[in-house]
Parts: sequence; C-alpha cells; structure tokens
Amino acid sequence: MPAPHFEQLLRRLQAGVATLEGPELRYGFVNEQMQALVGTNAEGRTLAEQPGLLPAALLEVLPKVFAAGTPYAARACACGSAADSPNVRHFDLVVDPYDGEAGQPAGLLLLAVDVSEQEAARQRAHELALTTRQLDARLRVLTETAPLFTYTMSPQGEVTYVSPQWYRFTGQPDTADLTAIWPLLVHPDDRLRVLFESETARRTGTGWNYEYRLRRYDGQYRWMLSRALPEVHPPDQPVAWHGALTEVHLQRELSEARRRGEAELRFLADSIPELVWTTSAEGLVEYYNHYTKSYSGLTTEELGPTGWVGLLYPEEQAAAARRWVQSVASGEDFEGEYRLRRADGVYRWHTIRARRLNDGSGPRWFGAASDVEEQHRLRQVLQTQYDELARAHHNLDTFVYAASHDLRQPTHNLRGLFEELRRSVRFTDPEQALMLRMVDTALTHLDSTLADLTATVQTQRQQQEPVEILDLALGLEEILLGLRPQIVHQGASVQIDVQEAPGLLYSRANFRSVVHNLVSNALKFAHPLRPPQVLLRNYLTDDGQPVLEVRDNGLGMRIDDPHNPAFRLFARQHTQVEGTGVGLYLVQRIVTSQGGHIEVDSTPGIGTTFRVFWAAPLGMRE
Amino acid sequence: MKHIVYMSRAVRPMTDPDLQELLDQSRHDNVRQGITGILFYSHGNIAQLFEGPAEQVDPLFDRICRDGRHSHVRKLVDAPIEARSFPSWSMAFHPLEPSGFAALEGFLLPHQLPPLPSSLTIADALLVQLVQLAVFGPDPTQPFQHRHADPPGALDA
Repeated sequence: MPAPHFEQLLRRLQAGVATLEGPELRYGFVNEQMQALVGTNAEGRTLAEQPGLLPAALLEVLPKVFAAGTPYAARACACGSAADSPNVRHFDLVVDPYDGEAGQPAGLLLLAVDVSEQEAARQRAHELALTTRQLDARLRVLTETAPLFTYTMSPQGEVTYVSPQWYRFTGQPDTADLTAIWPLLVHPDDRLRVLFESETARRTGTGWNYEYRLRRYDGQYRWMLSRALPEVHPPDQPVAWHGALTEVHLQRELSEARRRGEAELRFLADSIPELVWTTSAEGLVEYYNHYTKSYSGLTTEELGPTGWVGLLYPEEQAAAARRWVQSVASGEDFEGEYRLRRADGVYRWHTIRARRLNDGSGPRWFGAASDVEEQHRLRQVLQTQYDELARAHHNLDTFVYAASHDLRQPTHNLRGLFEELRRSVRFTDPEQALMLRMVDTALTHLDSTLADLTATVQTQRQQQEPVEILDLALGLEEILLGLRPQIVHQGASVQIDVQEAPGLLYSRANFRSVVHNLVSNALKFAHPLRPPQVLLRNYLTDDGQPVLEVRDNGLGMRIDDPHNPAFRLFARQHTQVEGTGVGLYLVQRIVTSQGGHIEVDSTPGIGTTFRVFWAAPLGMRE
Repeated sequence: MKHIVYMSRAVRPMTDPDLQELLDQSRHDNVRQGITGILFYSHGNIAQLFEGPAEQVDPLFDRICRDGRHSHVRKLVDAPIEARSFPSWSMAFHPLEPSGFAALEGFLLPHQLPPLPSSLTIADALLVQLVQLAVFGPDPTQPFQHRHADPPGALDA
C-alpha cells in the first residue's frame, strides 16, 4: 500500500494523531482531528510554542515520557481554555514514544480520541446516581418515620423487607426471620384468613387490602390495616408486593362502638310500642320503626319520606303538613294531637312530637307518636259529665231562684190575707192568740228563707263580678251601719282592726255578703248572759295572704260534730235561734269560688272565731 | 302514569347559560315524550318532580342518573299516579340576570310558583313543599345560601 495513501487515511482518521519529534517535541505530523486540539499550522513548531488546548498537566508530562521512553495514557482529559466551560471537550490521550532508526528515542506519537459524549453521559449517570441516592435516602427517612410500616414480600411469600417501625412495634430483634415470624404475630383468629388472602392475591397477581390483629411488643393485639400492590414490569409476572401496615385500632373500636350504639338504639326504637321515625335535615323520613310498620300495615317504601301524613285523619292532614313544613323551616318542635289510622282502618288518637337534633353531623329530626286514645276517651267522658253537671247545676239554680221568687209573692199574699183575717175576725181564746203569733212567726221565717235563697242564687251569679281594691275600714263601717238596729238592740260592741292590711282586692258585693253574714251570725248567736263582743281584724299571714278574722263571744258550736257541718245548706247549729241555715253556706260558696277558704275555731259557751282566707294559697294560684 | 321525585347536587354551580340550556333541552325533550313536572334549582341544589307514562318516565330517570352535570341523586318517590298534576314542564330558579329569563316559556321565579294542585295527595304535596324548602330555603324571594356548603360545626352557630 503506497505511503501517501496511508497518510491520507491517517489524516481522515476519527481520532487525533500527531507526532512530536525530538527532545524539543516539535510537531511533525498533525491530522485533521488533532488540529482541533492543537490548532492549525502546528507542523514544525514545538509543543511549548503551540500547546493548543492540551491540558497543562499533559504538557508537563510529555517531556518526562520522552525521557523515560515508557508509554503514557490519560483517560477523559478535559481539554479547553477553562475546564468547566460548556465547550470543554474530553479526550482519551495516549502517548507512545518511538525510537529512531538507531534505536535512540526519536519522538512521541500522540493519539487523542474524543470521548466528550461518553464523558457527558458518564457525568449524567453520576448525577443521576447522586439524585437517586438522595431520593433513596429521603424515601427511607419518610418510610421509616411515617406512622405506618412498609414491607416487601416476594412472589413466594418471603418477607424481604419491613421498615424499622415494625420491629419497634412487635418488639422483634433485627435478626428475626421475618417470613417465619410474621404469621405467628397475627391473632390466631385472623391468621388463616390473612395467609389465605395474601396467598390468593400473590397467585392472581393482584393487590390486597385486609385488616387483622397484630401482636404488639407488650402482648396486646392491635387492629392493623394491610394494603399492598404488586410491582409489575410487563409482560413479566410481579416481582414483589410492596405494602403498608397502618394501625387502625382506635378507628376500628370507635366505629365498632358506633355500630353497636346505632344497633342498640335501633333495637330500642324497634322494641318500644310507639311510632318512632327519624328524618333528614330536609324533614324527609329515613327510618320508621317496626311498630310504625305494624301499626300502619305499610312498609317503609309504601310510607315513603312523607307518607306518615297520609295516616292522619283526612281532615287533619293539610294542617299537619303545613305545621311540619313550618317546623322544618324554623327548627321549632312539632307537637300536636292527631288521629292515626291503624292497619284495620280504626283511627286512634296520638300525641305526635318531633324535635330537631343539632350535632356535628348536621341536623336531623326525631319523631314519636304515643297512643293517647284512652286518655282522650276518658277526657271526652269527663267533659260530657262536666257539661251535664254544669247544666244541671244551672238548672237547679234557676229553679231555686224561680221557686223562691215565685213563692215570695204567694207568701206576701198569705201574710196580707192573714193580717186581714186578724183584723176582721175576733179571737177570744188566749190559745188562739198564741197560735196567731206562731203563724205570724212561721210566715216571717218562710219569707226570710225565700229571701236568703234568692240571695244565694244571686251570689252564685255574681261570682264573675269585677274586683277592686276595697278600703276595708270604710267597707266594714258601711256594713255595720246596715246592722246598726241589732247592734243597738243587743248592746253589742264591735271593734275594727284593719291597720295591718287596710286594703283588699275583692268584689265589693261578695265582700259585703261575706262580712254581713258573719257579723249578723255573731250577733244572732249571742250568749244570752252577756252582751255580744265582736272583733273584726284583717291581717296578713306569713306568706302575705290577707285574712279576715271575725271573733265573737257567743254560743259557740261543736265543729267536729259530723251531723252538724257548719257550712252545709240549711244546716243549723242552734235550732232555738231563728235563722234559715243559708248564711254560712253562702259565705263558704263565695269564698271558695274566689279560691279562698274558711277556717273555724269554736268552743261551745265561749265563742267562735271565723278566719276568712280571701285568696288561694301561694303556689296554687293560676 | 307514574311520577318520580328526586334531589341531587350539581357538580359545579350552574351559570345562567347552563340553566337556559338545561331549560331549553329539558322542555324540548319532555314535550316530545309527554313528560310534565317541575324542577327547582338553587345554589347547586336540584330537586325535580316529573310525571308521565311509565315507559317514558323510567328511561328518563336512568338518563338523569347518568347525567354528569350532577351527583348524589336521591330518589324520594317512585309511585303510580292516577292523573297528571302539572299541565306542562317548568323550571324555577334564581338567575343572576332575571330580565333575560322572564319571557322564557317554562321559567318561573321561585317565589312565583303557583300553588300545588289538589290532585297531588297531601303526602306528595308535603314532599314537594319540603324539597322546595330544601332547595330555596325559608324565604324563596332571596337566593338561598345553603348550609351544606358550610363547614361542619358552623351549623349551630
């Protein structure tokens, strides 16, 4: 092969070739590639004159190589002005000394192969490795500090890695045989299930997700959630399963408790013989208890979210629906009495109540309906009886009033006729005169009885009279003025003491009737051996109730005698004293109709004290 | 004949153009299929009653369930009825620009809803009133800010 041809090949070689001749290292042959490194027109010049881009280290080494005569190679030498500039290139440099024809060192053959690409790739790989190492470290820190345990399992079921938390949790030494030990730490009741599920997942190449109890270092079993996914590089089979274990003991206990609580509440609701339901915030029923279904004979689906209203008596449905919408809108309690249709078509009265519960999980309504049919029926019976009684009572009053009123006229006539008779007929027999007097007395008695009866009925009708603040001193004086003839006649002394409670809220007419009756009684039942003394004292009890005390020194009476109750109509204590037996009855009726009551102390032969408690005791007033 | 009542939540709040499109599309489809009823919308809350022949109502509800514009579909009633209670199909909502909607056929402002017809049973009328209340709130003249959007705990405040 001719030399020029060979030289041409050398010139075009994809590697730099140059010869450095003589100890001064003068460029001999420089091919194209090498020109890029040492510059053009280098031939004939020394290395010191034209170092080109060759690195300083090499320039120092080359004379030594020439002197020593041993080859030298440098890999990936950075050549360029600045080693870190972007256009720096890397070359593998090989320096080979060659001898001259006489065997003396003649020069150096310099070979430069551009390895910039490879070097850049190597750099990248290095950087990647660094990043990977950092990421790996970060991942490790994360997995080993996170409150979950990570693990890796081979397709054969060997545990190849668990994070340190697992050792800390289980108390196992680092040297433990993971594959062998972990099933033993699973609760015996869960072990077979867990092994089966894990094996099934590994066989089918899927992930898993199950909970089991794992034994902690202290021997306690704690609920764990285990989830894993296979690492797959298609089309191959999974190479490993990576997963995490999380302790879910508290959540599980909480949800267990919640489930239990809910089940218990539901059981309770289903056990009670009342209609119970719950609704959403919108007022739409979500749950009816068993009793509702058996009472109505309808299923939850048939009842629907608002079906309860259809159970109501048809005329009451619209009003109840309006009321419910209003409750839902405002949050107010729903309450009412409604008739609810039973499965057999019978309507029974129920009290329906629903209240809104506000808690963290949003508002809900709880409703219940209790059967009040019996109470309702009883109330109706009572109402009917009450109405009948009121009517009868009214009729009786009217009758008494009419009768006494109607009888007074004939009595007057009778008296007139009798007077007339006495004037025109001459009686000679003294017996007859006595009889005449007796007839006269009887007529007077009849007349006053009728008058009293009329008064009683009238008082009855005056019960609704307006009340006013009465000035007691004035009122009592007025009444005594009306009784003045008797007081003077009997030589009685009447004392008034109203300093403690000078005013009284009462109806004037009623007050007059009460006091008039009591004072005239005191005068009427005076002791025959002494002039009557009457004390009228109005005072306040400890709890501020006004009381009028009427004390006399008259005949007195036996209070505990059941045959002579003091306040019964026509009941008379002293038949020898004239009277109609209406007075005390009248007083009693007035006082009790206003909520008050009367107490009596009496000793026969000594005197009687009446105490009129005008108002109802505290705490019993409406 | 049957009717269905459901409530649902819009996936995202519906704008005026969204609402108008829904109104146009529903009216068009419903007239063709003999479906009548009413739809309430406010602040992402949707409630609808629709009635018609069962062979039209059931497929319509299936389509509604699959409609990606809303979620959380809760069927409240699915029951046969004897007669229609709504003569046409209409939709009630608060547009941002009510002027543009006033003239549209089938559009109603929530506080201008006609009284419920007596052909509905009281239970069904109560249901419609409750869903109306749930969508529009106690005062339908005002756009109703829903409680669902509030964070838990703000309810009692």
